[in-house]
Amino acid sequence: MQDFAQEFKSAAALILAGDPELWAIVLLSLKVSLLAVLIAALIGMPLGAALGVGRFPGRRAVVIVLNALMGLPPVVVGLLVYLMLSRSGPLGVLNLLYTPSAMIVAQVVLVTPIVAALTRQTVETLDAEYSEQLRSLGVSRLASVPTLLWDSRLALLTALLAGFGRAIAEVGAVIMVGGNINHVTRVMTTTIALETSKGNLALALALGTILIGIAVTVTGAVSLLGLNDDRGALKHA
Amino acid sequence: MTRTSPVIEAEGLDLTFQTNDGPVHALKDVSLTIGKGDFVSFIGPSGCGKTTFLRVMAALEQPTGGSVTVNGMTPDEARRSRAYGYVFQAAGLYPWRTIAGNIRLPLEIMGFSRKEQDRRVKDVLQLVDLEGFGGKYPWQLSGGMQQRASIARALSFDADILLMDEPFGALDEIVRDHLNEQLLALWKRTGKTIAFVTHSIPEAVYLSTHIVVMSPRPGRITDVIESPLPQDRPLDIRDTAGFLEVAHRVREGLRAGQSHDD
Repeated sequence: MQDFAQEFKSAAALILAGDPELWAIVLLSLKVSLLAVLIAALIGMPLGAALGVGRFPGRRAVVIVLNALMGLPPVVVGLLVYLMLSRSGPLGVLNLLYTPSAMIVAQVVLVTPIVAALTRQTVETLDAEYSEQLRSLGVSRLASVPTLLWDSRLALLTALLAGFGRAIAEVGAVIMVGGNINHVTRVMTTTIALETSKGNLALALALGTILIGIAVTVTGAVSLLGLNDDRGALKHA
Repeated sequence: MTRTSPVIEAEGLDLTFQTNDGPVHALKDVSLTIGKGDFVSFIGPSGCGKTTFLRVMAALEQPTGGSVTVNGMTPDEARRSRAYGYVFQAAGLYPWRTIAGNIRLPLEIMGFSRKEQDRRVKDVLQLVDLEGFGGKYPWQLSGGMQQRASIARALSFDADILLMDEPFGALDEIVRDHLNEQLLALWKRTGKTIAFVTHSIPEAVYLSTHIVVMSPRPGRITDVIESPLPQDRPLDIRDTAGFLEVAHRVREGLRAGQSHDD
């Protein structure tokens, strides 16, 4: 027990002293996950919105597949991205394996379905409420998308935060395509896994504390936004 | 009997919905002319096609036969030239937008400048007696106030025609009386043409210059009554002999439509 207490003390010291190695890892984590969420938003939001207002044969099947993709196992995504990016893979010429870019690609694959599926759901719900009003104003279905997206911005922000929460806490995919190389592709989750197995608990604990802080903040923000949204809707009903 | 220039003209309108239980004849051979500045009420039991008729005028439904023009155009063209504002049965205000934000929605879509939006929102809020409530959220307002805000939204882009689908149906009688009085005043002040769907005989008689009585299966017009009541209508006009006479004729028309059914 004495040892653990000592480790906690060292962890606290690392955080408070602003240990450069520790913060470099935190920054890389944030950079990779934020970029991944940004790209996922650019792909997933228009896709989700189009799916939300579009009517075409097979739409139901696409929605079901998209919802199912939200639960993609990170390790399998890591494996697939690894195969794509490895030397003999179709994208091997890009030389992306074991770089932060590869990690971003893997996280984009994980986060895009989350963003797209939540956007689809939000836009579809809103469309049900808006469509008669918008039609009576002579707005076509496609032209109503900007209005729908703008009016659901709170819910869309929630979707992005949910995606970010998934990305920042994920370890399986990034460790496979990033390789956990010191000073290059070492992020919070992969470092925690490595340092724990090495017995260097202080650094693992310090990173763990920061990661929990980020995760709790993000989740808290999600539910706070959701709460505000509900309140308006409930009182309306 | 002088009639002003026609704004809405329906000729031999037919509409059949294909449902799982077979075709439903929602409108059959409906012909009607609505003049500029008229206040026309549509009254009849459920399924008589009064709402469907209104939706056809608004290009929300496509007729399967006959023709209808709004300002001499097809309903779809009229909609694109912003000929009408539509007030739905439920106020349909969006809870995440303020009252002003809700009224602004059509103006945003139509691309009015921010300054012009603000001016118009202020004007229509005044028109429906909701000054000072622009910053409130819908849930902070009573049902009657919400419905007034929804009327303000339909008025915001200054269409000449107001199509109203049972706008006061969900409100209690006291609030409804008050809103009827206000709507009549608004109609007189703005000179708009109003088509108004209702279930209530007193409401139809009190408001309208013309009352269209409809009956179901198939939905059709059984009587069009031109109101002999004066333009000035205090609420207690409803106790006068003239008013009761018109109400009686409406009731007779409704009954005749029903017996046709049996």
